[in-house]
Amino acid sequence: MARTDAPSESFGFDGREIPIHPGDTIGSALYRAGVDTVSRSFKYHRRRGFLCMSGDCPNCLVQVDGETGVRCCTRPASDGMKVEPQNVMFSLERDPLAMNDTRLAHKFLPVGFYYKTLIKPRWLWPKVEPMIRKVAGLGKVDKSDLPRHLERVYRHPDVVVLGAGPAGLAAALGAAEEGASVIIADEGEHPGSRLGDGATRDALRELLAQVEAHERIELLREHRAFGLYEGPEVPLIGPDLLVMTQPKAIVVATGAFESMEVFAGNDVPGVMLGRGAVRLATQHAVKPGDVAVILAGTHEVPEHIAALQAVGTRVAAVIIPDGAASGPELPAGVRPIVGEIVKVHGSKRVKAVSVRYTGGTEKIECDLLCLSGSLTPQENLLRQGTAMPVHAAGDLLAPAPVAESIAHAREVGGRAARGEGAELPELGQKARRCGDSGYVCICEDVSVQDVRNAVTEGFSSTELLKRYTTITMGPCQGRMCHGQMRTLTERLSPGAEPRISSTTTARPPARVVMLDEVTAGAYAHLERRTGLHDVHLGLGASFLWAGQWKRVDNYGSIEREYRAVREGVGIIDVGTLGKFRVSGPDVVAFLERLYPNHVGDIQPGRLRYGLLLDEHGVIHDDGTICRIDDETFYLTVTTSGAEEAEALMIDWRDTWGMTVHIVNQTSALGAINIAGPKAREVLSTLTEDDISKEGFPYLRQRTITVAGIPCLAIRLGFVGEVGWELHHAASRSEELWAALLAAGESHGITPFGIQAQRLLRLEKGHIIVSQDTDFETTPWRIDMGWAVKLEKDWFVGKRALVRKQDTPTEKLIAYRGESGSRHAPWEGAAVKVDGKLVGRVTSSWFSWSLGHPIGLAWVKPEFADEGQRLLIGKDNMSASVVKGAFYDPEGAKLRA
Amino acid sequence: MSFLIDCPNCGPRPSTDFRYGGETRPVEDPSSSELDEIKRLWMRRNVAGDQTERWFHRDGCRRWLTITRNTVTNQVLHG
Repeated sequence: MARTDAPSESFGFDGREIPIHPGDTIGSALYRAGVDTVSRSFKYHRRRGFLCMSGDCPNCLVQVDGETGVRCCTRPASDGMKVEPQNVMFSLERDPLAMNDTRLAHKFLPVGFYYKTLIKPRWLWPKVEPMIRKVAGLGKVDKSDLPRHLERVYRHPDVVVLGAGPAGLAAALGAAEEGASVIIADEGEHPGSRLGDGATRDALRELLAQVEAHERIELLREHRAFGLYEGPEVPLIGPDLLVMTQPKAIVVATGAFESMEVFAGNDVPGVMLGRGAVRLATQHAVKPGDVAVILAGTHEVPEHIAALQAVGTRVAAVIIPDGAASGPELPAGVRPIVGEIVKVHGSKRVKAVSVRYTGGTEKIECDLLCLSGSLTPQENLLRQGTAMPVHAAGDLLAPAPVAESIAHAREVGGRAARGEGAELPELGQKARRCGDSGYVCICEDVSVQDVRNAVTEGFSSTELLKRYTTITMGPCQGRMCHGQMRTLTERLSPGAEPRISSTTTARPPARVVMLDEVTAGAYAHLERRTGLHDVHLGLGASFLWAGQWKRVDNYGSIEREYRAVREGVGIIDVGTLGKFRVSGPDVVAFLERLYPNHVGDIQPGRLRYGLLLDEHGVIHDDGTICRIDDETFYLTVTTSGAEEAEALMIDWRDTWGMTVHIVNQTSALGAINIAGPKAREVLSTLTEDDISKEGFPYLRQRTITVAGIPCLAIRLGFVGEVGWELHHAASRSEELWAALLAAGESHGITPFGIQAQRLLRLEKGHIIVSQDTDFETTPWRIDMGWAVKLEKDWFVGKRALVRKQDTPTEKLIAYRGESGSRHAPWEGAAVKVDGKLVGRVTSSWFSWSLGHPIGLAWVKPEFADEGQRLLIGKDNMSASVVKGAFYDPEGAKLRA
Repeated sequence: MSFLIDCPNCGPRPSTDFRYGGETRPVEDPSSSELDEIKRLWMRRNVAGDQTERWFHRDGCRRWLTITRNTVTNQVLHG
């Protein structure tokens, strides 16, 4: 693997240019260039060097081109990138905040110090907090960095396998051989790239070729599972896509890593996990140190020694810890010591290791300490899935030689595919060892002494200890410290109940997840547009949301649009209304049950207003019921209620077992309302059908031809003027709109938006469901008992309405404001009587026709009588309750 | 987070494509007592375990279906 070419690429780090060799990660390039310290620690600003070289520990977090918290040991290096150390003040090498790391300072900065000190005087904390925030923390957020817009896709394979090591690949093959479809995901670009040369790597290459050739297996490289969610659901985040998988079974094969050990100086640069040192040696041809001491408890140690010796590192001693299952077989010339590590000497870099064994203590000079004492399963994900059909395979289940592991993982994959029960390891196990000093949590600088203090203070349960000290809560999410914390807690609180040192609850996320990754796909919302949307744009309209629809708010002047309807003629696009054709032999019986009004006596060609109620007698929608012929009705409901109305109609139809066809024509049909004193004049130039007062009176509907376009014309009066809603094929909306505008030009025809419509209907006292009503609104409360026929045998909500008939606790009233002000109060404004709050405003406008503010408001029933004086809003506008419509109360204009 | 619902018309789809319709309950019996009717309207079993419930396939076939789901694990037992 020797690389002799002089590198031409480099990146910047802490004022230096670091050359990049082919295949380098940022970490390997730094290490080759002699950089021991890459960042400083979270609290005490201690030096942080390389530990795991596999992206598991929190030590090598740096900032790369503005991105914070990057584990530089696994991030590939590229030419010209800017890498900065984190948690550093002024200089990585001479950080003044390292003074936090003195015995004296430790005394004043214990765990939770901010709860205990800096409390009095009270003005102190607000001044100190920003300073602490600046000093503690992980990197500096680049506020100019915009979130990416990531897409989200859903996949549902039979089995999801997490981790494409030998066990994961074998499990995927085992599942696929049973006929299951499999997605296997791995964080790395090249599965197995963190493995050193040897039998494991060879086995992996063979399995990888089989997996890639298998038609039922899909391998997702660079996809990170950040949690197991109920369902089960496994989000796999890739470079530019969130793949949300919903499998029947999950196999977790995330492997194991060498355990962190706790002793004095355990975080000094030069202390490295054994596999990390080997990775440097075999993959990057970097010599991890001149003289190494190895803590040897795993079966891999002989391989480690060989790999280190191959790059010229001398192994001074191998320490075999007490309790290691069996000492590994060591090559000749390596000195074994059965004992334990007491202390690492040095602060910038390991200088020597003190070892205690039976009969004495010895200081061994070295510059590298490799920790291979035992393996810790990579179980963060697995622990989240204990209530799911989740299986474990490989080293995560039980460390074993690779051939054995592969054979077993194949069986596990098969069991997962067949939906059989899983074999799980004991989760959250205690660590074998934990020393009496040093750092338990290297993410957040929690020392053994800190844990001792916390236990003394009473935080002896691991769940409490975790929250108090933030141990296990840092970037590594407890990988390095969970077992050690349990061991230590048990030792420090002897005789305590077992649950005191229990394993803590694991929750997502298990891996780093960016906020823009969590929101992948969330920004993509449905926007529905009518066939006239582009026409409105051309007219300079501003839009607002109405449910999923975009509707015209106004075209520039609400007053001009309003006056056109009152004095001339206006047109509005109401194509967003919910529109349903309902037919079939049972249709009358169906609608009689659905609506509280009579339906059966509506003659073909006529229509009636209808409320839609739920079983609590609460209004959830309103609209018109048009009878086309004996067995066919055409219903309209509000824009935002159409979806709900359809779901409920289908539900009732199914529940009642009736033969009724419900066709949702909301998108298929467009609708334009032409209204105003001159509406008939304009419309008559476009149709030969009779639309005279006698020939087409109020509350009638029939199909007429307007400008050659067949329209179901419905004569309604929502805005209080003569008018027709013209329902037509949506494909002809633009044609009809243009014809109406052209025909009305000499009459000053004006398109109007829904703001103008809101005032127009308010002057008529019409409610808007969900603006003026809420989840308690019965027809009784809004004086719409006329739309309820209790003499009917049965309709949805009847029993509730009978029950609620006498007890409205609020009434919707109309009021006229008496101030000369042209400013109407805000919708939602308070309504007061004698200084007491008695209600709230739901609709409020200044009426240009009437010359005073008008509105609707909820008040207590005792203040709902006509003439009641009210004070409204922060300006205490004087108002009085009125009955009936403000405008044209007899409806003469409407019927004209 | 969501889970899969096996729609008889459309096939397995994420639950976010559906609208939840609540646990199944009896239809109104006009001859029942007022108290029984109020119980039917308001009192839910709210089980921690298997629940039979209604879902509306809003972003699909726009039909209702009935499934049994474990409310603790969100596993759908019968599609």
